[in-house]
Amino acid sequence: MNKISDDILFKVEKPARYVGGELNCCYKDIKSVDIRFAFCFPDVYEVGMSHLGSRILYHVLNLRPDTYCERVFAPWPDMEKEMREHNIALYALESKDSLNEFDFLGFTLQYEMSYTNILNMLDMSGITIRASQRGEEEPIIMAGGPCAYNPEPLHDIVDFFELGEGEEIMNDVMDVYKKYKGKGKKKEFLREISKIRGVYVPSLYEVSYNEDNTIKEFKPKYADVPSRVAKRFVTNLEEVAFPEKMVVPYIEIVHDRVILETFRGCTNGCRFCQAGMIYRPVREKTTANLVEAADKLLKSTGYREISLSSLSICDYSDIQNLIATLIEKNKENHVSISLPSIRIDSFSVDLINEIQKARKTGLTFAPEAGTQRMRDIINKGVTEEKILEAASNVFASGWSTIKLYFMVGLPYETMEDVRGIAQLSDKVAGEYFKIPKEVRKRGLRVTTSSAIFVPKPFTPFQWAPQSTMDEVVEKIKAVKYAITSKAVTYNYHESIVSYLEAVIARGDRRICDVIIKAFEKGAKFDGWSEHFNFELWKEAMEECGVDGNFYAYRERSYDEVLPWDFIDIGVNKEYLILENEKAKKAQLTQNCKLGCTDCGVNVNFKEGTCFKGALFN
Amino acid sequence: MVLMLILKKGRVLRVRYLIKYSKDSEIKFIAHLDLMRTLQKIIKRSELPIEYSKGFNPHMAVSIAQPLSVGVHSKGEYMDVVLSCELEEKYILDKMNENSPRGIKILDVVAVIPVEGKKQFQAMAIIDAAKYTIKLKLSQEEEVKEILNSLSSNEDWSIIKKTKSVEKIVNIKPLVYEIEYSIDNSILVISALIACGSRDNLSARLLADYMKENIVFINKEAFVDITREEMYAMKGDKLVTLSEFFKN
Repeated sequence: MNKISDDILFKVEKPARYVGGELNCCYKDIKSVDIRFAFCFPDVYEVGMSHLGSRILYHVLNLRPDTYCERVFAPWPDMEKEMREHNIALYALESKDSLNEFDFLGFTLQYEMSYTNILNMLDMSGITIRASQRGEEEPIIMAGGPCAYNPEPLHDIVDFFELGEGEEIMNDVMDVYKKYKGKGKKKEFLREISKIRGVYVPSLYEVSYNEDNTIKEFKPKYADVPSRVAKRFVTNLEEVAFPEKMVVPYIEIVHDRVILETFRGCTNGCRFCQAGMIYRPVREKTTANLVEAADKLLKSTGYREISLSSLSICDYSDIQNLIATLIEKNKENHVSISLPSIRIDSFSVDLINEIQKARKTGLTFAPEAGTQRMRDIINKGVTEEKILEAASNVFASGWSTIKLYFMVGLPYETMEDVRGIAQLSDKVAGEYFKIPKEVRKRGLRVTTSSAIFVPKPFTPFQWAPQSTMDEVVEKIKAVKYAITSKAVTYNYHESIVSYLEAVIARGDRRICDVIIKAFEKGAKFDGWSEHFNFELWKEAMEECGVDGNFYAYRERSYDEVLPWDFIDIGVNKEYLILENEKAKKAQLTQNCKLGCTDCGVNVNFKEGTCFKGALFN
Repeated sequence: MVLMLILKKGRVLRVRYLIKYSKDSEIKFIAHLDLMRTLQKIIKRSELPIEYSKGFNPHMAVSIAQPLSVGVHSKGEYMDVVLSCELEEKYILDKMNENSPRGIKILDVVAVIPVEGKKQFQAMAIIDAAKYTIKLKLSQEEEVKEILNSLSSNEDWSIIKKTKSVEKIVNIKPLVYEIEYSIDNSILVISALIACGSRDNLSARLLADYMKENIVFINKEAFVDITREEMYAMKGDKLVTLSEFFKN
């Protein structure tokens, strides 16, 4: 156990990040458990504690009497400095034991820019960075989460990956581990779990390359190791474990409220969106179940706000009933409800109007692209007419501030499309002035934000080149100069971090060396602008002989072997190709609620029923 | 159950309670606003019939008597709460303890009974003094006693007090009502009763800084452990604890 003295804590920012002891955190007697699991979030406490998936898995693992799961977050650099100076190893918040005393370290991969933090966390615990050099006595390193769908850039750091939803697979792996624990048979353990559906053990596969640096072949080294790895998912969300008690941090975290997971998957089929593809099929929880869970969570935490979580909350089949019931149940309770993402239509505006009867906080819409052509290319099924109608409804209902989210650098984008962002923003502002003065609220503000598009694996745009930094800078300038309304504020960033994200997101095994090199040069907290230093990465790529443009700016052909091709997400590659072809022609694909679009998930995975638990099913 | 019965009878009443609690050493780095949020969650979990302010963004009727600086722990914190019905003090105490995280213990609950013709002030308005234990790490024990003795006989304890905008020299000696010292295991332990509240106030940290400035053998890099032991108000002509102040 590490003793973190007050002499250290009083010098660092937000010491509460490092002390634990929050309400509802789990304590177990170390002598009574077989498996010690450190759940590691490679970012700072307030970010990590806001992540619902981590909270679910913390609960699932601790339901096992034989397993003790504890939490670990990346120490902020001020704390890291103190810990290194005083020779304190990185420790888990519950027991304060050093990470090298654990059986497993499980990292969740939420964004590529957190990868160097993983290396730093291993290093702070005295654990060997490279999986191929790590000793038998050192912990087993595993990882999961959305970025695990391209695991290759971490192939020599992580011993095994879990692909898909973790609730069941985690238990399968722990059951196997009990047989091997303490026997000095890490290799045998990894070999055995490689046969569990959803597990990928990179050391059991080999890759060869063509002269042009593309992948020639990816194959298992042994005959008994599966050549394809299919993702895992929970078929019935009604029966899946969901925590009734959640840890309540002492300090304010990013999402400081009860988070209620309503459904998984999304039916919209936006072509830029990875989540929309990898989380298929859509599965819902019933309103009855959710209302009960909300009640228990409010009681056990003391929060006064519930957030309904999903990829697109307004698509929940029983949304009106759910919201009405939650409002009714809590009307004496001073509990409010929030919707993190809303669809752009009048239905959604009515919904939010119901929730925010009294206090109107800002509203956020994401048209994603400025022109109809561009929205059709990305299959964002919303017309300008609908957007303006929703905006008009918003202003007529008493809001005067509205935020609009866009992307620049999308595939097949022209300068005309980019200027469309400015024109649409102006038109939204224009809707305000059509509302009579006595009805609208004073103080119009339209905040338009643009992010730089990063092509991701398992999307129809996985073959597309990223727009170059020079192009992006031009495009942002074009938006800026095309805005005419004084009420519109334009927020943007031109950071090269998007380029690096593109390199890693579609990287192969050779990117692993770059990440290690960048870490050795001091890269960490790359997702935080105050810490991101592109020079370190540039040097790392040069020294490793890796050309970043090869990964970020190159258009791939359909027959190229992509680094993540061996993973089966259920959606057919042919479907992604078809979607990309339709994108080129600006053709729409319907929302699959209106009829199956044949992505393949319900055929390839026999157990996967689309819309399980939904009202109309 | 008690609560439900009262609620059903529909008796609408506002009852104020003074609640004494601890902020333990393990959560001493929790800031005032975070502690406030934590206390409100305890009340919410305890399902006490707490009153809310009116308006778009209702606030719980909870007020902390005297904020505690980050890094300081306490065995004698107080808050005022207003409930919409009368409950047994013991019931409130047990309910809140059941729902508190490790670092907070509810120590006492006192119903503040309205007295005819007399205004019952908020706890924050009546505080006059607080007792602290301050522990300072020493590099050597010798000579410290002598320095302390000569400090004791000096009536002028001047130190620069820094606020966000101004720096001024203040004499803190008149604000120190009682002070005792002991040295144990290279730690200087100061027990002091000092001015606290809206009339006169001395921060325990400033007193510790004064000691640091005047005793060279105090380790300047080390953390200064400060415990607030109790808070007092004048009742008649003597200081009593806040709990005692409101007890009949």
